[in-house]
Amino acid sequence: MGYVAVKGGEKAIEYSQNFYRQFFYRKSDNNFIINNLSFAVDKVMSEGGLFTKLLSAEAIRKSGGDLLNASFYVRAHRSTCQRTGDARIVKTEDIRILRRISSAFKDIEGGQILGPSDDYAVKLLLNADYREKKYKNFNKSDIYLKSALTTLRNNNLVKKIEKDNQIWDITRVFPNPPYPRSAVQQVMSRGETGAMLAFAYTTMRGYGDVHPTIGDLRIGYAPVYFKHPFLEEEIKIGDIEVTSCECVGSFNKDQNGDIKLTTGFGFCFGFNETKAISMSILDLSLYNKSYTIGEKHIADDFEIIMFHIDGIESYGFANHFKLPHYVTFQSDLQVFDNANQFNKKEKK
Amino acid sequence: MIYAFLDEDAKKEIRRAILKAIAIPGYLVSFASREMPIARGWGTGGLQVTLSVISPEDVLKVIDQGSDDSVNAVNIRKFIENVTNNETTTETEKATLIQSRHRIPEKPLKNGQILVLQVPEPEVLSNVETDSAKQKDMHANEDYSKLWVLLYEDTAQFGDSRIGSRYPVRVHGRYIMDPSPIPKYDTPKLNKNEALILLGAGREKKIYAVPPFTDVEPIKFDDQGFHIEEFKDKRCEICGASGVYFDEIFDENDNPHYYCNDTAYCASRKGNL
Repeated sequence: MGYVAVKGGEKAIEYSQNFYRQFFYRKSDNNFIINNLSFAVDKVMSEGGLFTKLLSAEAIRKSGGDLLNASFYVRAHRSTCQRTGDARIVKTEDIRILRRISSAFKDIEGGQILGPSDDYAVKLLLNADYREKKYKNFNKSDIYLKSALTTLRNNNLVKKIEKDNQIWDITRVFPNPPYPRSAVQQVMSRGETGAMLAFAYTTMRGYGDVHPTIGDLRIGYAPVYFKHPFLEEEIKIGDIEVTSCECVGSFNKDQNGDIKLTTGFGFCFGFNETKAISMSILDLSLYNKSYTIGEKHIADDFEIIMFHIDGIESYGFANHFKLPHYVTFQSDLQVFDNANQFNKKEKK
Repeated sequence: MIYAFLDEDAKKEIRRAILKAIAIPGYLVSFASREMPIARGWGTGGLQVTLSVISPEDVLKVIDQGSDDSVNAVNIRKFIENVTNNETTTETEKATLIQSRHRIPEKPLKNGQILVLQVPEPEVLSNVETDSAKQKDMHANEDYSKLWVLLYEDTAQFGDSRIGSRYPVRVHGRYIMDPSPIPKYDTPKLNKNEALILLGAGREKKIYAVPPFTDVEPIKFDDQGFHIEEFKDKRCEICGASGVYFDEIFDENDNPHYYCNDTAYCASRKGNL
């Protein structure tokens, strides 16, 4: 048996990249991508962990629309950015709201604000009748609202989880277990939407908490404050588009033995409702052990979430299989041959 | 477009599944759930059942969370209206076919009516057994011990089951089924109901049924009563109704207010006042 080794000569790689550019990376306008593929741009910003529409659009162009690859470009670029300091923590109350809904409560202060959404659209490719109506009663004034769960919190009905004294920064130091909550939140915030959805889905289908209710889901513009290096005071340096979700699970006993409702929180860059919902469900599952009886579940295992939720890492590893593996495979084959010989002898 | 959206072969398959479901009350019948133009989990199971059983003379009502006016109800009703031209109504007694999510109407259903419930999680055992092959064995052997253990553990810790809505029920003395996430308040209405109740789960590809006048009992230990949600001394602030299922709504000062959850019931009372 003969195996031809796949060798990547320098010239060959160069030609391959030129070919890639010609094949996938044609001229298109970054502004077009920002304006027309906004969910794609938001997904890339969120998973890339950097709020930059322009570079995300550029990354989408360079990756030919492979969004994980695009996030990879952004995250790689992020590593080149100088860290100048920490912004003030964004409060969800300060989000200027574009859309905010609660499925836990029918009537909430500030109301259900559907905002722009195609959730209720009948998804027929060829029938445009449904979308032709002009919207009415569009409120142009800015909306700020406290969480729909505030009443429950004020009445001390919600289980509280201890705050981290210091906010961890996973881009500088990756923690060891037990993982600080701020680190877990960051890992999930940058996590891959599909992976997060899949893990969250396991807990919805019976491997865990089962059917949480969305208490407050909002998308909007959060102000970012930063301490001016010379003036020494905090100034607003801009708005970022964000999604935030608080979900409510079953009730359970807290540290004092009191029965409290359990909640989970999800927060990420861009308008990513599926991701924020999934993240809040994972947060809920991680910090509130299983509602159902049985063994450990995927969604309440810190190790599984911390190490498998990252799209860039799993994407990279899955694609590394494209690299030559002829040395290891050669040795696998020898082991196989030996086993085969042994088996034949035994059979006789 | 074809009447009622689905192709005739799809409808035939779904009707056969429905017939089997009626013949074995509470038993989960698999079917080849079709892709619908609304998302999975938004009522595609109920929608497929409704579209398969609807005929031109049917009068349709669609409820979501007790209301005919909530976004999902409006959306589904409009869609069915568009693909059938059938008459629609909000009045429970006028409807021959009612598709609902999370509620059984306050007004008692009559023989000849069909109630279609949308079901997110049809397998009652999924809370206690995730392996679907084992679930099937357990149903076949009438082995519901794990459900009883869950009920026992909850009762020991919290005084009662932690299950709020979708409380497990035994149908016709045989299969235990998930009644879809109706509140416990609606559970007794399943028992000996005059209407045919069809339950459709699109994402999980299952159809099951409670035929008219069938025994349906919530599972419970002999020495533990079944407690439904209570709204003691509460009255609807619109129509004055009491002893119905209420929406509890908090105002800006965190004070609760109560309104009929079934908006059609509330409107009909108001019309009669």
